[in-house]
Amino acid sequence: MKRFKPKISHLSRRTFLQATAALGGASALGLRGVYAQEPEKPAEIIVRAWGGSWVDSLKAGVSDSFTKMTGIAVRHDLTEDNEIQPKVWAAVAQKRVPPIHINWDTTTNATKSALRGVTEDLSDLPNLANVTDLAKPAGLEGFPIVNTYGYVYVLAYRPAAFPDGPPKSWKDLLDPKFKGRLAFYNDGIGFHFPAQVAGGGKLEDIPGNMQPAWDFITKMKAQQPLLGEDPDFTTWFQNGEIDAACTISTNAREARKNGVKIEWVVPEEGAKFDTDGLWIPKGLPENELYWAKQYINHALTKEAQQIWLDGLGLPGVVPGLTPPKDLVGDPSYPTTEADFQRLIRISSKIQVENESEWFSKFKAIMQG
Amino acid sequence: MRAARTAYPLTWRIMDALEGVAAAIWPARFRRATPYLMLLPAVLLVGLLVLGLIQIADASLRTLDTTTFQFSDDYSIANFRRALTEPLFLVVAQRSLVAALIVTAVTLVFAFPYAYLMVRTRSPGLRKFLLIALFLPFFIGQVVRAYGWLIILGNQGMVNEALGLVGVAPMRLIYNYPAVLFGLVQYMLPFAVLMLAPALTAIPEELEAAAGSLGANWVRTFIHVVLPLARPGFVGAGVVVLTLSLTDFAVPAILGGGSQDFIANAIYDQFFRTSDQGLGAMLALMLVALGSILVGLVFALFGAGTLAMGRSRT
Repeated sequence: MKRFKPKISHLSRRTFLQATAALGGASALGLRGVYAQEPEKPAEIIVRAWGGSWVDSLKAGVSDSFTKMTGIAVRHDLTEDNEIQPKVWAAVAQKRVPPIHINWDTTTNATKSALRGVTEDLSDLPNLANVTDLAKPAGLEGFPIVNTYGYVYVLAYRPAAFPDGPPKSWKDLLDPKFKGRLAFYNDGIGFHFPAQVAGGGKLEDIPGNMQPAWDFITKMKAQQPLLGEDPDFTTWFQNGEIDAACTISTNAREARKNGVKIEWVVPEEGAKFDTDGLWIPKGLPENELYWAKQYINHALTKEAQQIWLDGLGLPGVVPGLTPPKDLVGDPSYPTTEADFQRLIRISSKIQVENESEWFSKFKAIMQG
Repeated sequence: MRAARTAYPLTWRIMDALEGVAAAIWPARFRRATPYLMLLPAVLLVGLLVLGLIQIADASLRTLDTTTFQFSDDYSIANFRRALTEPLFLVVAQRSLVAALIVTAVTLVFAFPYAYLMVRTRSPGLRKFLLIALFLPFFIGQVVRAYGWLIILGNQGMVNEALGLVGVAPMRLIYNYPAVLFGLVQYMLPFAVLMLAPALTAIPEELEAAAGSLGANWVRTFIHVVLPLARPGFVGAGVVVLTLSLTDFAVPAILGGGSQDFIANAIYDQFFRTSDQGLGAMLALMLVALGSILVGLVFALFGAGTLAMGRSRT
């Protein structure tokens, strides 16, 4: 087996620190002339992003202000995160310049890239001094990824389908009246861990014994749920195809913005909490690496986070952010210790090492 | 006396020059090899595919280490064993195979009368209409057509709205196996018609007239004259529809609601969702093998049909 230990390029680190110090001083003094000491600016940097409201929020919160500040255009590449991954891996393996400067990625996917050793170290970003623990990827050395916000896989539902009040448990979805009216992610992501609890198991048993989860998912299979990806959930709610779904709150909120009557809860068994982040693939020219780092550094400012995450309706990693009005006190926007206690968080390392097996198991149940 | 230069047109002189260049590059003594030269692009293309297959075969024998997300340096048959023993892959393989057989049979049944009418009609207007109706779907594309069915057959789609007018509650018409089969048949129909039409054109109308004059009704003529002579077309169309259905990705993904995956969807998952390109490569190779065996079987039983360009077994 090939082994790889991530290491920091001393040259790029030194160059970066010098330039960052220069930029910090310049910003503090308001001296724009110091830009002359910075590496050459590329005409554009390419940021991979998810489409729809996701990229709109990133553009409004981070990309536009970055362009205004630096003059560097930002191009958003909407290639799926799963599909850009092998392209980036191949580029790094073949020592080619990667097709993107920054990957906006799920932490689980990004962790795979970090373990493979294709990510640049970001520990020297100045704004990391101001972030919460959520920004640090668990189980990894340094900062090959910077988490930028968290999100919850809530139980979203149409209130009209629950006349007796909101669902309290994931088990409520086993009611025969919901046969064919439920939806989950097609690999089961977001549902494995609550299913473990709903099936009578313990979170401490993950990954060793997940039979309770598989038993509960088998019961759920009898409900003939639809299986899809992020955009499908919004569409299915809008088209009246489903009554309830396990999905990221952002998708449910998007459907609500589009006029669909939809609510969401964190059931008593809990809901999965996870993070997304930004990372830079290895192999960029020094100057482009510098400006890619500046982009991520900018994404960690309070101003950028506030606008970006207002659009997504998700809690960020910079203290003092104000929740959007419609999400104050909402379980999908955890801010206090008590909020987090209702959520399930499993380390990225465990997820990455077992994800393939979990996906296969979920698919085997659902496809059977 | 020397001829005036104008007597020899410029275009001729250009052609002479071009012929001179061609003769210098490819002398007359090489003429016998010219047909092989024409084959070169196709050989190169197939060669590249073979190279790709060799690389896929290499990847298929390497296992993924999920602590480093690197592939093993050593070869093993672990992926082969997983592909044959994990219930998920057996389910999707069986579903793909059964679907391919059903879709092929249904498509050929639907395609034959369409192709026959298109070839035999004496009305130019009808023939044009049938041709336009045949080619129009090609301009739309598979994904758009599949999404079109979502709009028509969805819970709030045209069909359910029409049913609602007569008091029938909305019913789930998509996101199930029949919907996938339906989508595939609709997608494959033009391919089958296009493959059948040349074979039907090659059947002399006089033969059908002769059968009729000898007392055969249209059913006997159809069974004993048209069908046997159309066999090369059936074989060609069947092979094309069978292989395309077996390897389809978009229709199961869009009309299956996530629970009706085919082998191609499982391969995608391994390459792009779990990052296990070794297992994905193994599944891809097994799909190639399954398709090749099926096609080989058809050729062995029925000949190569229209694909043999007139040298088919009859």
